[in-house]
Amino acid sequence: MERLAAQLGRAVQGKPEEVRRVVTCVVAGGHLLLEDMPGVGKTTLAEALARACALSFSRIQFTADLLPADILGAQVFHAQTATFSFRPGPLFRQLVLADELNRAPPRTQSALLEGMAQGQVSLDGQTHPLPSPFTVVATQNPVDFSGTYPLPDSQLDRFLVRLSLGHPAPDVEARLLTTRGAASPLPSVEAVTGPEELASLRDFAQDVKLDAAVADYVVRLARATREHGDLERGASTRAVLALGSAARAQALWEGRDFVTPGDVRSMLVPCWAHRVLLRSAVQGVSARDEAAHLVDEIARKVAAPR
Amino acid sequence: MKRPLRLRLILRDLAAAAAFGAMAVSGQLPLPVLGAFLGALVLALCGLRLVARHARLSALGLLVVAVLLGLQLTSGAMNAVVAACSFAGLIAAQRMLSTPDAAADGQTHLTSLLMVAGGAALSGDMTYALCLITFGVLASLSLALGVVEAAVPDGEPVPVRAVMRPLSAGVAFAVAGAVAFFVLFPRLNWAMVGPRSAPGLGASSAGYSNTVRLGGAGTIKGNPRVVLRATLTPDPGLDALDAYWVGRTYDTFDGMEWSNVVGAQQIERQITLRPASDTLIHQRVELLPAYGASTLIALEMPSRLGNARAHSPTGTRSSPVQLRGGGEVRFTVTAPSYTYEAYSLPPDAKAGLAPGLVQAERDQLLALPEHLDPRVSELAARVLQGEKEPLAAARKLASFLQKDYAYTLEQEGIPEDPLSDFLFVRKAGHCEHFATALTLLLRTQGIGARLATGFYGGARMDGGYLVRAGDAHAWTHVLVPGRGFVTVDATPPSNRTSQGSVYLEKLLALYEAVEARWRNSVVDYSFRDQFELASALVRPPRRPRDAPANEAPSRLPPPRAWATAAIVAFIVWRAARFVSRWTGRAPALAATRFLDRVDALLQKAHVPRFEHESLEDLTTRLAREGHPLVLALTPLTRRYLEARFGGRALREGEAEHLLATLRRALDAEAARRAVKPAGQAGPTARAS
Repeated sequence: MERLAAQLGRAVQGKPEEVRRVVTCVVAGGHLLLEDMPGVGKTTLAEALARACALSFSRIQFTADLLPADILGAQVFHAQTATFSFRPGPLFRQLVLADELNRAPPRTQSALLEGMAQGQVSLDGQTHPLPSPFTVVATQNPVDFSGTYPLPDSQLDRFLVRLSLGHPAPDVEARLLTTRGAASPLPSVEAVTGPEELASLRDFAQDVKLDAAVADYVVRLARATREHGDLERGASTRAVLALGSAARAQALWEGRDFVTPGDVRSMLVPCWAHRVLLRSAVQGVSARDEAAHLVDEIARKVAAPR
Repeated sequence: MKRPLRLRLILRDLAAAAAFGAMAVSGQLPLPVLGAFLGALVLALCGLRLVARHARLSALGLLVVAVLLGLQLTSGAMNAVVAACSFAGLIAAQRMLSTPDAAADGQTHLTSLLMVAGGAALSGDMTYALCLITFGVLASLSLALGVVEAAVPDGEPVPVRAVMRPLSAGVAFAVAGAVAFFVLFPRLNWAMVGPRSAPGLGASSAGYSNTVRLGGAGTIKGNPRVVLRATLTPDPGLDALDAYWVGRTYDTFDGMEWSNVVGAQQIERQITLRPASDTLIHQRVELLPAYGASTLIALEMPSRLGNARAHSPTGTRSSPVQLRGGGEVRFTVTAPSYTYEAYSLPPDAKAGLAPGLVQAERDQLLALPEHLDPRVSELAARVLQGEKEPLAAARKLASFLQKDYAYTLEQEGIPEDPLSDFLFVRKAGHCEHFATALTLLLRTQGIGARLATGFYGGARMDGGYLVRAGDAHAWTHVLVPGRGFVTVDATPPSNRTSQGSVYLEKLLALYEAVEARWRNSVVDYSFRDQFELASALVRPPRRPRDAPANEAPSRLPPPRAWATAAIVAFIVWRAARFVSRWTGRAPALAATRFLDRVDALLQKAHVPRFEHESLEDLTTRLAREGHPLVLALTPLTRRYLEARFGGRALREGEAEHLLATLRRALDAEAARRAVKPAGQAGPTARAS
């Protein structure tokens, strides 16, 4: 994991914390939602991830006219044999970058989301399993809402972690200017792990011990969000499970085979901030910050096990 | 094999000791058994398991003891229950001293249970109950610790403290629940087989004897145990009662011993000794186990006695009473304690001619022993100097005896003729000597007299009077023509009541009061008592007799019923809340307690810390800041997290080691900080 992070760090400089989250999310076997303004390295990060893990990679640029068949693939008629055969779409890759997910119509979004949730694609009554490991890194632009179809909450729930990269620090930005210029950093990223190794990492993460006290802590946190006055909807059971697996991956990152409350705390905001629904009708960046702030505040009020 | 937990073994042995104590309080176990068990207990508590290596030899020894006990049993020298109890005690002792494995533990607890059961058969009084509760508590703790010990893997420390606290609370709750059960649920009388000793301080002291035999030391006078409690109506209201409680009279003296010519007579529910007068003193009397005899006692002169109830461990039942010679009335049922009613004539009442006397008894009033010392008669004549009026003569003789003779309880040897020994040799004796002398001196002068025995005095207690074994007394009844028997006491007045030490008496009075309350409210507490308590609570108040008749009586329960219900509801509510909170709280774990200590250390050293910042967060933050404490904190935090959430408990002594490291680091940090300001202050100080 350290090596993976080091490689990602080459591509996305000055963001060790975010890179760590990304690796954690991948090890936890979850999908990642990057939500940020354009030009801060979302796509670069995803591509670097694919390279470092030696995963098959495809990038789908979501647009308003994108159809489900464009991502899933289609039945193609072979004239010679007079049969239909399935031609897999770009989704059939181990790492899929869904760029600007919220620009596609809901139908296309849900086609992607079915794949994310089930690990398979249903087409014309046939199910086609997706490759393993299968990870989606989706990006969203929270600023420009015109002509977008915001993801419904139920679909946001499918993403394990939502991250925003933010602008790099001034010195990092200056270094970028001087050393790299316009050249892509991606060629410098080396493959340090393979799909098999990633799968075994995921197995390790699943075996990380979660003490009853910590489990109780997670449940208490969930209940606190459900009972909070400013939240329309609190954390779902899927959110509880997601936090558990994220915390497990985080513990593995720390080199431990058990989860501590600190692991839970550190994964809490990225895991849950996009899953709770605010009562106030604010949208966009402020809503995101507000939710993160609220979840953080709730975590402060719920006593961690000692 | 795992080394057994020492605390558990100590608890086990103490539980066995409590069980043994439950039998020992009856005072019926033979001394060698007591000694053997106590020795074994001391050795076991010191951890010296002597017979661990000689298990077979000690088992053989037990077999020998069993044979010896069997022989004692068949020869009738020992009771079967006592023998069984003694053997159980010895087995427990042997088990306590053998290798402390699981089998020995189980057998020790089992024999302890047997001993408790044996104790129930031997005695059922307060001290037994205390032993029983002690045994229950200690044995529960020991057994529970055993379970915990078995569950902890080898090499891991047993979390004794973490277990003991909830365990103790649970046991306390169980005891409280047992008490509540005891008070609230309908009670059954417990019928136990076996030779029950008298409750209280062991065997009865026979404060009242069946015959009067002169000679021997009067040790009874120093005995402060309470034998009788009485409520008088009308209540004289005095602090110390100046009255004679008569049990029986004697008419025949053979030179050594007093007895009666007439034996047992009719049995009835109630015996009338004398015709009643207008003003009778009613006495509700309770004879306590220390009394030990079955003769009814009443104030002089008794008119009617009866309505007796015998209180035995198997329950209370009414006892018919039997009239015997000398005006003695006896219970026909044998029991440790009795209650009955008696009516007596007031002291100044004229009883008419001595009633109820048969001719044989009447004839005996002047009888003298066959070999009476002639000096007795001479002495009487010399003192009386022709006084013939019976009462005046008796008083004259009594004052002569009180003046010229000393009171003593020390009587060495048994003289051949105790009377002349008292009158002419020692010139000192106790109440029986004085009373016998007066009676015989009167008889030599042709004045009818007899010896009366019973108790003198009565100390105020709880609105009634109590009489002690040491108040046992003897005096003289003089037959006065036209008046009947009149009491004349030849014993010096200051020596009539109990002669025990005041301090001991007070102490004993306290014990007796507690014991009586125990017996009334615990041992004899029955369904009827529960019912009466409940009905007394809800019964509407009795209307005063002078209240206007037209006022309709309220059907509602009185305010005290509501108040009690409110109090009970409050207690139940509090208890429920306490229990729910208790069960809701997670037990403090070893790692958590370790964390508490770390927190306390950090706080003492003023390590900057945010509110609600966990140790994990603190260590992460300090590591980011490059704080020097991190070196000590990081391994400690890691071990804490492992112990708390990772399932790898702290090893024995590890917590102390980690804390010591932290302490050193904190000290070094404090020293570093102390040096820095001093170095900074140096130049400024010089500059100024």
